[in-house]
Order: sequence, then C-alpha cells, then structure tokens
Amino acid sequence: MKTISKLLLAITFAISVTTSAFAVTVVSWGGSYTESQKLGYGDPTAKATGIEINWVDYSGGLSEIKAQKEAGAITWDIIDVYAMDTITGCDEGLFVEFDFDKDFPAAPDGTVASKDFFAPMPSKCAVGNILYSWTYAYNTETIKGTPKTIKDFFNTKKFPGKRGIYKGALTNLEIALAADGIKPGKGGEKIYKALDTEKGVTRAMDKIKELCTDPNGGCVFWSAGAQPPELLVSGEVVMATGWNGRFFNAIVEGAPLKQVWDGQGLDYEYFVQVKGGPNDANGKALKALAMMTSTEMLAGSAKHIAYAPYRISSIDIMQAGEPWFKDGKTNMVPQMPTAPANTKNYFLVDPIYWADNGTELGEKWEAMKAGF
Amino acid sequence: MNSETQKILTTDGIPLEVSLKKAERKNKIKAFLLVAPLLLFIIITYVIPIGSMLTRSIDDKMVTEMLPKTFKSMETWDGQELPPEEVFEAFYLDFQNLVDERREGKLSTQLNYTKNGFKSIIKKLRRKSKSFVEGNYKEQIMSVHKRWADVEYWQAIKRRAPAYTVQKYLKGIDMYKNDKGEIVNVSEDRRIHRLLWLRTIEVALFVTIFCFLMAYPIAHLLATLPMKYSNLLMICVLLPFWTSLLVRTASWMILLQQQGIVNDFFVFIGLVANDARPEMMYNKTGTYVAMTQILLPFMVLPLYSVMKTISPSLMRAGKSLGGTPFTTFWKIYFPLTIPGIGAGCLLVFILAIGYYITPALVGGASGTLISNQIAFHMKATLDWSFASAMGLMLLTGVLAIYWVYNKIVGIDNIKLG
Repeated sequence: MKTISKLLLAITFAISVTTSAFAVTVVSWGGSYTESQKLGYGDPTAKATGIEINWVDYSGGLSEIKAQKEAGAITWDIIDVYAMDTITGCDEGLFVEFDFDKDFPAAPDGTVASKDFFAPMPSKCAVGNILYSWTYAYNTETIKGTPKTIKDFFNTKKFPGKRGIYKGALTNLEIALAADGIKPGKGGEKIYKALDTEKGVTRAMDKIKELCTDPNGGCVFWSAGAQPPELLVSGEVVMATGWNGRFFNAIVEGAPLKQVWDGQGLDYEYFVQVKGGPNDANGKALKALAMMTSTEMLAGSAKHIAYAPYRISSIDIMQAGEPWFKDGKTNMVPQMPTAPANTKNYFLVDPIYWADNGTELGEKWEAMKAGF
Repeated sequence: MNSETQKILTTDGIPLEVSLKKAERKNKIKAFLLVAPLLLFIIITYVIPIGSMLTRSIDDKMVTEMLPKTFKSMETWDGQELPPEEVFEAFYLDFQNLVDERREGKLSTQLNYTKNGFKSIIKKLRRKSKSFVEGNYKEQIMSVHKRWADVEYWQAIKRRAPAYTVQKYLKGIDMYKNDKGEIVNVSEDRRIHRLLWLRTIEVALFVTIFCFLMAYPIAHLLATLPMKYSNLLMICVLLPFWTSLLVRTASWMILLQQQGIVNDFFVFIGLVANDARPEMMYNKTGTYVAMTQILLPFMVLPLYSVMKTISPSLMRAGKSLGGTPFTTFWKIYFPLTIPGIGAGCLLVFILAIGYYITPALVGGASGTLISNQIAFHMKATLDWSFASAMGLMLLTGVLAIYWVYNKIVGIDNIKLG
C-alpha cells in the first residue's frame, strides 16, 4: 500500500513537472473572456497540435513580465495585451518580432495573413486577436425617449440624469469630439488630427467638464468592465459607456439594456510572444499562436463572447454557421463591433497616439477631474 | 609597586581581563548568530529593495550612454534656438548605433517620459533614416516630423544628459529643472501630483480622526462591560476585520449609492424626496465612510488593550477625592490611554496614507490618491524610476510623521498590547 501511494506521488510529481515544463503558458484577463479563448481556440489548438496550453490570469500591464525578465526567470510564453502595451513591450525588447505572412497561416481563400487583418498591427510584435468596442448603453426602463446618437449621450436637456464614463481619458476625449460635431472620418483620423493640437484637447476636455458639472447631468467614473451594466441596472446612471461584450452578456442574461453603436470606438486585443519564454526556442509557442489566430480558430471564440475576430475571413465562417452563439438561437454577426450596421460612425482607437501622449493627457485629465 | 603586580591572574596564569574578553566574545558571537537570520531577512526583504528603489529613482545612466556623441556636442549649445548641424549629425550617428543594436525602442520610451510625443517620431525617424544621404542631417531629420523641428524636444533631450538626476523627484511635486538649471513648475493644467499628495494626507488625517472618535467609546465599552457582553462586542469588531476588504467596499457601494438601501430607507421614512436623494457614494463622503469602517479595528484593538490594563479603582479614587466624572476622566483616565491612542492613530494613519483600492472604487472623481499614481507608473507606463521616486517620497513622508510623532508623544509611550 505504502509503495503504491509513494509511486503515485512520484508519478503525479513527474507529470506536474513535465506539463509545467512543456505546456505553453498563455496569460490573459480571466473571467468569461479567458473562458471564450480557452473553449473557442485554446482547447481545439491543443487537440490539433498536441501542444498543451496552460491558461494563467493577470490584471494587465507589463510590470510582471518585465520583472520576470529582470529576474531571468521567464515563465510566460504568450500574453494577451492592449495595443499600447504591444508598442511599449516591443520597444523594451520584451517580445518576439513577427514576419506576419511567414509566421501566420493565410485565410481559407488564400489571402495572406497581413491582408486578412481588420487593421494593421500597431507593432511588429503583435498579432491580432479580437476587436471590441467602446459603446454606450442605456436602461430602457429608466430613460424617457430613445437615445440614438453619440450626441444624445451628452444631451442632458433631452436625457437628464447621470452618465457613467471610464475613469481615464482614453476614448472619452474621442467621443467628446465626435459628439461636439467632428466627423470621425476614415477610422477616426479627423478626431486624432484634432487631438494632436492643444486646442482640440482643450475642446474635448471642456465638453466632458460641461457634462460632468451639469446639474442635470453629472458623471460616475467606472474602472472595471463589470461596473457599467451594474450602474445602469441599479439606476445609478441613465447612460454609461462600456465594453460591448459586457453589455451583450447583461442583455443575454435579461437586463433591460440597449446599446448604441453610433460613435463607437473600436479597440483591439493582441497576442504577443515573450522573447526567451520557455517555449520560444523550441518553436512550440509560435506554433500554438499561429494556430490560435487562424481564421477558423478565431471564429470559435465568438461562439462564447460578443467580440469580433481580428481576421476578416472569420466573419464568413460565422455567417455560414448562424445562429453562431453558444445558446443556439442568437445571431452573432450583427453583434460584432465590425458589423457594417455598427460601423456607420466609428473611430479606431489609435494606440500610437495614446502611447505618445498617454501620460501627459492622463495628468491633464486628473487635474480636470480634481476641479469638479 | 609596579603595574605588573597589579594585574589579577586567573588560575591558569592568563590575565583576568583577557580571559573575560574571550568569554564575552563567545557570547557576542552566539548572540549575533541568534539574530543573524532576522538580520539577513531584513537585509534581503527591506534594505536591498529600498536601496535598489533609491538607485533606480536617481540613476539616469541609460540615456547618457545611449547618446554619448549627442550630449558631447550639446555641451556648447545654449538651448535657445534649434541646435546646430553638429548636434543633429551626432544624434544621427548615435541613433544609427542604437538601431543596429535594436535599442532605439528603449530610447523612445525613456525620452517619452521626459516629454510626451517622442515615441512616434522616433519610430518614424527609424523608418525614414534608412534612406538618409550623407550631410545636412538637420534638414533631413527635421523633415521627418514637425516635432523634430521643435526646440522643446531638443531641450528635453538635453535634460537627460546627466548620469544621475533628481528630475523624477521634482516631477513628483510637479516641477522640473529646465535646460538652464532652474527649477520651475510644470504648466498649470498638468499639476496633479501636489494636489494628490495633499488629498492623500487630508484623507488619511480625517480617517484617523473619525476612527479615533468612533473607536474610543467602543474600546471603553469593551474594556469595562462584563465578560459575556464584551465578548459579543469583540466579535462584532473582529468579524468585519476578518472579512475581505473588497467585499466590505462593495457592500458600502450597495448601501450608499443613490438608488441604494440607505437612500431607499430615507425616502421611505420621508426624510428626503425621491428625486433629491443625497449623493453619498463616488465622492469624498463615500471614501471617508468606507475607509473609516475598514480601518476601525486597527484603532479599537490597541485602545482596548491599553484600557484593559487601567484599574477601575483609579477612577473610584479620583471620585472619592472629590473629582467630577469629567475631571476624573480627563485628569486620570484619558492620560493613561495615550499610549493606546498613539499606537492606534499611527497605525491607522500609516495604513490610510498608502491605501488605494477603496478610494479607487468609491471615491469617484476625487478618488485618486497618490498610491494610484504609483501603481499607474508601475503597471502602465513602466516608468519604474518615477514610481520608485514617488514611493520613496511617500516613505519619507511616513518617516517624517513618525519623527514628529516621536517628538510630541514619544515612541516609548506607544503600546500595541
């Protein structure tokens, strides 16, 4: 008996050592998002390639991987990061640079990978994963009338009540200008042109200030993605900006919310591969990454969450398979941030602009908030 | 009588002085070995990290050695007009070296800390510089992006020349040293850190005062009630203490928000009108309420442990000598509790000054404290040297308060239990 238990112990130990040594570690944000990644493409990739994938949660930012590198003990292979972090991390030499058409498979119709991405990569180290969107939603039970445009979000006369907005300057300045009458233009370039000047930034900040200090309006600042639907459902605010996936989930669960796509900001999530990670040299990390970001695999994640695959060709697969959502009755293509009906008036969040000006704008933003 | 005869010898002929020293040395080594693990622990977990923080916050060698030629050629530049051709040429040569070593990204991150806007123009310069021809680098670099023709960006580069700098500390109080060496304020719409320091101190101070006002009677009750009641009361104090911080913060959000339970109750009893519900969350009120409740046990417990040791007969004696209840309290009881007050206040204040999750969640627009800013630079901008500088400033602040406290109350008078 004793020898058997000892043997078992030895075996489990050996297994745990080997799996942790050979599995590719993918780090992501946790919750329903990681769940969608794991079910959508993690498990199928593991099955198809035989490479075990080990999912780890983190709360964003590059401090952990930087610390791992400085300590010389890198344990992560692939990280799910914001666009801005891919630029910073690439500059710091933390991530592997890709040759997109060589490293990643082409679309089913033969389009090379770099032409199949919805938007060009912000850096050579990033490979697109999903697009999500900053929209706003309202509670159909507490609001009088129907907000339709981004201007309505700032219209406190017609829609009195508090607004929930993101705690930082990111995307708030853009929607302020869009609501103030600047037509975003192709991918929002006119907005960023305006924000490149001192005058444009002041104009955007004034617009936000006006909304937040209006006795008919007022602002509640949210920091976590789960907050906007909660603030809306509890009646704390009448409208709130937020991430479309969170609103979608709340609506599927029966919350009386409605999303407005006008003036939405499309934002991206990327995968990066850590330079010198445990599976960098043996090529397993890249192999798993290429598989996970292929057309079919990315489409798989949209079965579980309302974020759009980064590959344009994935939409066709979803279209053919509708209703695509896991409940078997919800059509997913209209829920995608990239759907034609949702992209009539939108801007692409510009990671390079924010990498450039993020800290200074952050300081100005906080200084403005302190004055409320 | 000579000195030889004066020396006392032990039985084996060694002078007593020597053999005593020998025995003592053994004891000293033993004592040292006993504390050695603790000493090692403190060095590894405290002295080394703080030391590395300190060096990180003033060390600016990285940029100095990235642009050696540039800084050399900048020595003669007065910093008023755009730099002359030699500076541009030196910068181009340095930059080409960095591109070869693939380190230009690091340079862009570093320069972007000093002045925002460097990231994209360095990226652009790398792309364009491949097709540069020899000579007239000034024109060529300036044509890459209009910011390269802006003297402010060159001044920003010059500011990074010294290998050691206090810029990060100055930035922590919204100032910077310009290229003439004068220390000046940053532009008004960007002054945020001074305000955050003041707000952090204000919040910590008020939370300490509120905690004290609430904890004193509770601790007194705990110390004087009969055992069966005081045990129950103790559980009431400790139960929240054992509950997760986030759970408690979230509960306050549910209770105090405008459509929350407390407001519903006020409306129900007719205290306020339904459309004029007071705002008690996402502002300073919310921060004070939540933080006071969360930090209350840290005040109650030291106070209780001190009050428990005060004999009730002292108060009786005071009364029997003719003192009114207030006089006996003020002249006898209160002074005896000062060690507990000292410990409690110091504990709550120091915890409050470094707090950030609660104010971040319930504080709304006025909710950001200095620790949020430190976390922001640790996680988002990766400007660890600035985060270190602010961390050390916070630490110095706490030590200063500790020192003032020692002068006023006396550290020996603090009692934790």
